[in-house]
Amino acid sequence: MSNTDQATLAATQARRPPFYRDATVLKWLAQVVALLLVLFTLFFLATQAQGNLEEKKIATGFDFLGTALGSDLGSGIDTDPHTSGRALLSGAVNTIRLAIGGIIAATILGVLVGVGRLSSNWVVKRMCSVFVETMRNIPLLVQIILIFVVIASLPRVEAVGEPIHGWLHLSNKGVSIPRVHISDGFYQWLVFLLIGALVGRWVMRRRLRLHDDTGRETYPVLSFAAVLGAFAAVGWFAHPIFGWVGAIFGLVADIIDSLSQTVVQAVISALAVAAAVWWIRRFLARRRTPAGLTKLTDDDRFRIIFAAAGSAVVIVVAVTVPSLSSVLLDLAGGRGIDWLRFDNGFFGWLSEKFGNGRTGAPIDVKRPDIEQLGNFPNYGPSGLNLTQGLAAVYFGVVLYTAGFIAEIVRGGILAVPKGQTEAAQAVGLRRVTMLRRVILPQAFRVILPPLGNQYLNLTKNTSLAIAIGYTDIVQVGQTVYNQTGKTLEVVAIWMLFYLACSLTISVVVNFFNVRMKIVER
Amino acid sequence: MSVSDATTAVTAELAARDDMIVCEGVNKWFGDFQALDGISAVIKEREVVVVLGPSGSGKSTWIRCINRLEVHQEGRIVVDGVELTNDLRNIEKIRSEVGMVFQQFNLFPHLTVLDNITLAPIWVRKKPKRETEELARSLLERVGIPEQAEKYPGQLSGGQQQRVAIARALAMEPRIMLFDEPTSALDPEMIKEVLDVMKELATSGMTMMVVTHEMGFAREVADRVIFMEDGQIVETGTPEHFFTSPEEERTRLFLSQIL
Repeated sequence: MSNTDQATLAATQARRPPFYRDATVLKWLAQVVALLLVLFTLFFLATQAQGNLEEKKIATGFDFLGTALGSDLGSGIDTDPHTSGRALLSGAVNTIRLAIGGIIAATILGVLVGVGRLSSNWVVKRMCSVFVETMRNIPLLVQIILIFVVIASLPRVEAVGEPIHGWLHLSNKGVSIPRVHISDGFYQWLVFLLIGALVGRWVMRRRLRLHDDTGRETYPVLSFAAVLGAFAAVGWFAHPIFGWVGAIFGLVADIIDSLSQTVVQAVISALAVAAAVWWIRRFLARRRTPAGLTKLTDDDRFRIIFAAAGSAVVIVVAVTVPSLSSVLLDLAGGRGIDWLRFDNGFFGWLSEKFGNGRTGAPIDVKRPDIEQLGNFPNYGPSGLNLTQGLAAVYFGVVLYTAGFIAEIVRGGILAVPKGQTEAAQAVGLRRVTMLRRVILPQAFRVILPPLGNQYLNLTKNTSLAIAIGYTDIVQVGQTVYNQTGKTLEVVAIWMLFYLACSLTISVVVNFFNVRMKIVER
Repeated sequence: MSVSDATTAVTAELAARDDMIVCEGVNKWFGDFQALDGISAVIKEREVVVVLGPSGSGKSTWIRCINRLEVHQEGRIVVDGVELTNDLRNIEKIRSEVGMVFQQFNLFPHLTVLDNITLAPIWVRKKPKRETEELARSLLERVGIPEQAEKYPGQLSGGQQQRVAIARALAMEPRIMLFDEPTSALDPEMIKEVLDVMKELATSGMTMMVVTHEMGFAREVADRVIFMEDGQIVETGTPEHFFTSPEEERTRLFLSQIL
């Protein structure tokens, strides 16, 4: 290139367009305007709502969580909660139980049915098709009510004091099966299991390496199970020797209890700054090439600014809301939170559970029993009870979602090109190995994103429990706002709760999604 | 009668000792359409056979029948003394002795080049991983891309992918290699690199059956050319004979169209 050319080029570059034609400026401007608009809207809505509520003399705030609630709950960790907060917690636990149990069962059933629809066995194929079409085409609410009604038509429970005979009890109150109870020695035994798992993993890795080197069958998983089993067996009798573990947790709890609010605020702020710094450093490291730092795009700058702003928000919240820090302290240490009926914080609880003087068997199994507290006999707490409402919601969401998951799985497997199967056959892979090593890893990457959506749907659909009065968080919330009038606050709690659930599921699914990605270029 | 008895009987009856592939009256239909019509042929050990013919003539179907990717409906196919039947053990044995290279490469996109090659030796032959990886690296050396071992198929050019596919097939140490139009999906400048690997393979004494449109390769490397049309074998002969003085009218017509 000649000198004159370079001069012209430099001149062209130097001449900036006016700001309303400058793409870079406009882009930044648009971002800032969008952000301001969102903030303004939120601010406007909040002040309006607050003004209206004050005008109508409706008090706002979350103090009602600590006040008494005059209702029983049908089922859950606490059927007779003494505060609204405790009731909502109980409802939240019910919802989370439903969601986790539902996701596991729906996935297993959905995968089986989805693969079944691709089977060459005519009977299996037809049965799976009928299942999918039935589940997909009947509204979930109808299915839940149907199951509820079917259970209601079962024989009534008769009052008996002693454990029932047999292993399974079916009645109009639901299903009760024997339950594994965690008893005194369980937590010390857990220490044995943990050590067993670590040693087992070490052994398994050694056996795997041996397999790689010699090609001999070394049964790595089996040896892991053997080691774990051995530790479990020894620990069953020897667990009291780990009584001192509780003392360590007790010490931690004492240390936490001695901390002041200010220390927690400082720690939170420091963590927020550290997180932002870590994220920005990692981000810049990714943009670094052997030739030095690549030129940052505007998007990159935005991300860095938002990371910094995010940590600033955390610090502001931590400093302006000191009660948050004291709640955190109570939750972590030995003090506990009374309105949630937590007698202990996390470490206080651990020190009690792992502490000395617990010498019974780690677990024991009890048969279901039937007790009569009020007017009607019902299942007692010694069995694992699937109450009528829980069974209806659980089987409803599981069957319904399984129908959709089956179709997603079928689609994912069909999406793997036929050439992959042929290539796997041509190198002599057996059917199971081919599925495990070639087809499923590729199908999984197609299946995962819509599967995550189904998990979100399942979680949100559990709120239909309200139709049959099962005490999930929505039903409990409704009871709470009927008694306290705190509708807005309860709705806010619902929204935050479901948002937290959804974000957790998204993070997990995304983690796997990134891992399954196929590298190209 | 046990399986091995059955296979010995077949060997004695149908195949001489150095017959690698024996086909006898093989028929196959797709619905009403007859894809293979009485195919009978013998391919000897260390022989390189090129199958030519217009598209739709059944070349690919035939070659895919030999390792049971398609199922023939009538006739017999015996590969290295083992007859292809519904017996899963026979199918498994034949597939582990017959390597195949596809037009569309069909590499496993979620595995690295090295894992693509070692997958079958580890899971079918139950070989130690370390040993297989050494084998895989030496095979990559042989097909001329030792530096690509850690990459994924999506990061390679078409010619490189096809050479990995050849290495993958060779990793099972097959006695026979089938090539189903191995260069048809490649850009012209990449065809040569794949053909070079195939030529090297042929000179090393591998029994090969190649469906291709590369007349240069057929002329140079083939011991025998088989010409197919409408699911039948029309003419068989040495390349010189086939390209210079074909006997059948249909062969002459085909050659006049492509040469």
